[in-house]
Amino acid sequence: MRLLRVIARNASRYLFGSAVRNWLRNFGSTAPALGSMTLLLLLVALGGMAGLVARNAYTAEAKDASVLHIYLSDNATTDEVIALESRLRSQSDVRSVVYVSKEQALARAQHRPGLPDLANAAEENPFPASLDVQVASIDRVSAVDSTMRSQPGVDSSLPTSYDPGAYRRFQQVLFGAAVVGIAFLVLLTFIAVTVTANSIRAAVLARADEIGIMQLVGAPRWMVRGPFVIEGALTGVAAGFVAGVLAVVVSIVAIRAGATTFAQLAPGLTIQLALATALILVVVGPLLGSVSSLASLRRQMES
Amino acid sequence: MAPLVEFVGVSRVYGQVVALDDIYLRLMPGELAFLLGPSGAGKTTLLRLINREIRPSDGEVWVDGLPCHALPATRVAELRRKIGVVFQDFKLLPRLTALENVAFALQVTDLRISDEEARERALDALDAVHLHHKADAYPLQLSGGQQQRVAIARAVVSQPSLLIADEPTGNLDQETAWQITDLLEQIANFGTTVLVATHNMEIVRRLQRRTITLVAGRLADDQPAARAGELVWLTS
Repeated sequence: MRLLRVIARNASRYLFGSAVRNWLRNFGSTAPALGSMTLLLLLVALGGMAGLVARNAYTAEAKDASVLHIYLSDNATTDEVIALESRLRSQSDVRSVVYVSKEQALARAQHRPGLPDLANAAEENPFPASLDVQVASIDRVSAVDSTMRSQPGVDSSLPTSYDPGAYRRFQQVLFGAAVVGIAFLVLLTFIAVTVTANSIRAAVLARADEIGIMQLVGAPRWMVRGPFVIEGALTGVAAGFVAGVLAVVVSIVAIRAGATTFAQLAPGLTIQLALATALILVVVGPLLGSVSSLASLRRQMES
Repeated sequence: MAPLVEFVGVSRVYGQVVALDDIYLRLMPGELAFLLGPSGAGKTTLLRLINREIRPSDGEVWVDGLPCHALPATRVAELRRKIGVVFQDFKLLPRLTALENVAFALQVTDLRISDEEARERALDALDAVHLHHKADAYPLQLSGGQQQRVAIARAVVSQPSLLIADEPTGNLDQETAWQITDLLEQIANFGTTVLVATHNMEIVRRLQRRTITLVAGRLADDQPAARAGELVWLTS
């Protein structure tokens, strides 16, 4: 027990104590590493949250893309609507058909960004009744659309809301954003690791005498390198903490500023998600710092 | 008796420069030997090979049973705990006292050593070099000779089987150089093998110990203790 206490005290003094003391003393030279690592982690966090939001939007868009809205003429009779429903249900590609009245269409529009003003400005309800058709596959939507758009009871001026290119365009935009985002983060990771490695290199050079003596008297490698790895981890903890706080603040501001419309534009972005992301940053930060330090030490302390 | 240090056909090349060429050498336990030679003869290279700061380009270097020529980086610390090193420029940490400098060398090599034990052993080592009364002084408060004695205390505090000294008297006046040399001789008398690289021929003549002379990287002369005084002209 006493031996364990002695080992703990010595490890604390020569590893952690030494690392903390030097980290505080060399804070000025560590600042660039701290800044670049914070920026990297913040952008990773924001990128990650944006990716999650984009995935939610993508899922919703994929679901919406296979829904064909057939708008009904205001003069459509009940028989015409029933005939349309029957015709749709007889098609093998159609999964379900839901009738949406003008009142339901108005209520739905009031939850969409920009449409509440339009709904309130008009004297009469401008939104038509419709049949919402869930088609089995996105590829079959155009076929169903072509059989229905000229049927009696369908609004001749705006028969359907089907846009065959919308889903594909959305896919392309998402893919492009993901490629650019990943490339940018890889570049930023390289910069952050390089800057951190250089700051550790400066710390090693500043303590070359002490390191030299430790190596000459036969201190184990982990004892010589340990304080620098901990210094890197400390930089990572600080960067992770700052980036985490910033990520939460940015999320809160965005959610509050967006109010009702933001839920549509950024589905799934919540305070809980921001807090979980911040927690991940505080864990990832020290890992990144330690790995950067080790990369630097491997080059400088080969003996 | 097995040699403590053995060089078998050792060569060391830096680029196009041959620093050591085909060296065969043995040092026995408890032996005190002087390594002589003009500047650039390869003395420091030979010491660095023993301490595994560098590897030989060819040949084998054995220290206390460990193959320095093939020792992986992960085992270098194990080798260095068997070797005490003393330099011309002392290499003390200025922010630590004499006592802390010596204790530091103990504790960073073995975390199991408590503060009390480290202090006790460091004080014993300082006592051995007659600096017990300067234990709490910082290096800058000590003379050159005193700093070198602290460095020797640090080198021997973990009781290494080999002590290597690279020009330990190079920065000292003759009187202080004698004191340091006497200390090294005492250490050898206690059973530690001591190898001293030096230019100080006064000391070599006075001690009459084995002399190993290098010239242009080759072993030019190796005289046993009894005849050491006769051939020191090689480097004078």
